[in-house]
Amino acid sequence: MTPKWLRWLPAVAVPAVIAAGALAGSLPASAGDPLPPKTPEQVLQLIAQHSEPALSGTLEQSSELGLPELPKTGAGSDASGTAWLELLTGPHTARIYRDGPDNARIQVMDRLAERNAIRHGNDVWFYNSKDNTAAHAQLPADDAGDPGRHSAGSDITATPDQLAAMLLAKIEPGTDVAVGADVQVAGRAAYNLVLTPKSDATLVGSIAVAVDGQTGLPLGVEINARGQSDPAFRVAYTSLTLGAPDASVFAFTPPPGATVEEIPVKEHKHGNDAGNATAPAARDSNRKPAVTGSGWDSVVEFPAGTAGPASDATALLEQATVPVQGGRLLSTALVNVLVLDDGRVVAGSVPLERLQAAAAQK
Amino acid sequence: MLCALAAIPILIAVAVRVSSAVPPGRGPAFLDRIAQNGLFVGVTAMVVSVPLFLPLTVGVVAGDTIAGEAGQGTLRYLLVAPAGRTRLLIIKYAGAAVFVVVAPLVVALTGAGIGAALFPVGPVTLLSGDTIGTGEAMIRLLLIAAYLAVSLLGLSAIGLFISTLTDVPVGAMAATVVLSVVAQVLDALPQLEWLHPWLFSHYWLDFGDLLRQPVSWDSFAANALLQGGYVAVFGALAYGRFITKDVLS
Repeated sequence: MTPKWLRWLPAVAVPAVIAAGALAGSLPASAGDPLPPKTPEQVLQLIAQHSEPALSGTLEQSSELGLPELPKTGAGSDASGTAWLELLTGPHTARIYRDGPDNARIQVMDRLAERNAIRHGNDVWFYNSKDNTAAHAQLPADDAGDPGRHSAGSDITATPDQLAAMLLAKIEPGTDVAVGADVQVAGRAAYNLVLTPKSDATLVGSIAVAVDGQTGLPLGVEINARGQSDPAFRVAYTSLTLGAPDASVFAFTPPPGATVEEIPVKEHKHGNDAGNATAPAARDSNRKPAVTGSGWDSVVEFPAGTAGPASDATALLEQATVPVQGGRLLSTALVNVLVLDDGRVVAGSVPLERLQAAAAQK
Repeated sequence: MLCALAAIPILIAVAVRVSSAVPPGRGPAFLDRIAQNGLFVGVTAMVVSVPLFLPLTVGVVAGDTIAGEAGQGTLRYLLVAPAGRTRLLIIKYAGAAVFVVVAPLVVALTGAGIGAALFPVGPVTLLSGDTIGTGEAMIRLLLIAAYLAVSLLGLSAIGLFISTLTDVPVGAMAATVVLSVVAQVLDALPQLEWLHPWLFSHYWLDFGDLLRQPVSWDSFAANALLQGGYVAVFGALAYGRFITKDVLS
């Protein structure tokens, strides 16, 4: 008969093997095929000239902004009003599909629920499975390009290198721009463009953008806050497939039984609106936000009455803010917002003292 | 015990049938869809039974495997037969695994059956807002049952191990069920985020990924890997314990 301790061998060996496997898996994979070195300007050019309109991938987003995390009860449900705000707290996974400038779909995958935004041609659909509601908007036909979506798209006339130089000239004075060690994102070797504010007064520690070495597609963004080890905000692909996804992905018809809401889209009328536009513009001039400081430590001041007394928002604000001298403070890792007692709102990526100082100047 | 599980979808279906319409977003997920489509009874029943009822029955079955025989005093007679302890352990675990496969299947199929009997059945709306036909919906339902079967394999391995520790079957059952509850409580605490991917209950409710279009297989794979790890670790522990155990009863 074999000794007794020998019989326990599998019980020891199996966890050891699993622990070794887990450890090996968690080690950061070094970029096996190092990319040719590039200057920050060349990397910016790479981003500017990227044209990868067809892809499907999975995005993972996590934020440690210091906002109170909204409770997530397992299979339950939460109020729909906070559904989109909830995107700022806690981790999220989303699948993204794109094919050309006119076809896109984003699926935010929640537990036992999903939020969808689909663009197919000029139709834009939103669907929330939690309350089975859909919303539809019809984009005006001439407004083919969605300027928000493809930032470096065809309608920008500057060439990529001009654009890169312009951008660099703009951010250079207050920011150190460097290309860090190559990183691996979604299994692809990527340049790591690191922007570090020169100013000590800002809350932003650094911003790192991972740029795909082959295509120039931005693969991930990481914003680090000062005095916080975890990134304050991070979004990156965990998997990415280049190439057109199945066309059926973009076809959406609201499911039977869903509540469909039609969102009216304002037509961009160029000529006849000009007369009317002057009146609101004149009224707006004295409630325009005032900016003090420059670069990273600038402070924006909104005049009183900007933050309208929307009933939902105030209740939420009461919960999220803490009373400080002169008002209430909404403090996050990256941005501080000070709501003054007289109704003015000062915000900036700076510590509270600077906000108070800026508020006192007036 | 399978009858008790089958009672869950029947209860849900009857309750929705006799009550007024459920407003969306209230109660367990998919509850509001039942009145439109009977197949959702199966899905809702699985959502309801995952946190407690399925682990409860699996805990009872798995906790009873070895300790039940020991408690009745029949374990030593089983071991007199020249079959070997390893084989007995494997057979016992296979028995528990069969239950683990059958239990979610019973919930799903009873749910679909009672739903079809009491409510209209038609194309099913997925989480992504796309609709699929009834046949494909049944496949998805079976896939979810398979997902839950895989999910519970880890727990049944834990139950098997605990069952080799004691001669009191009730103790083993209770310990297994308590462990599953503890794991779910830990999974709900954001402060223990680093621990979450290691909890056997972590992916239990992620079967919703099978109701997306296109199907997201990531959680299925991650869950299978995790449960495989649990089966290996606690299977090895149970082997070590059972092989070296002095069987007195």
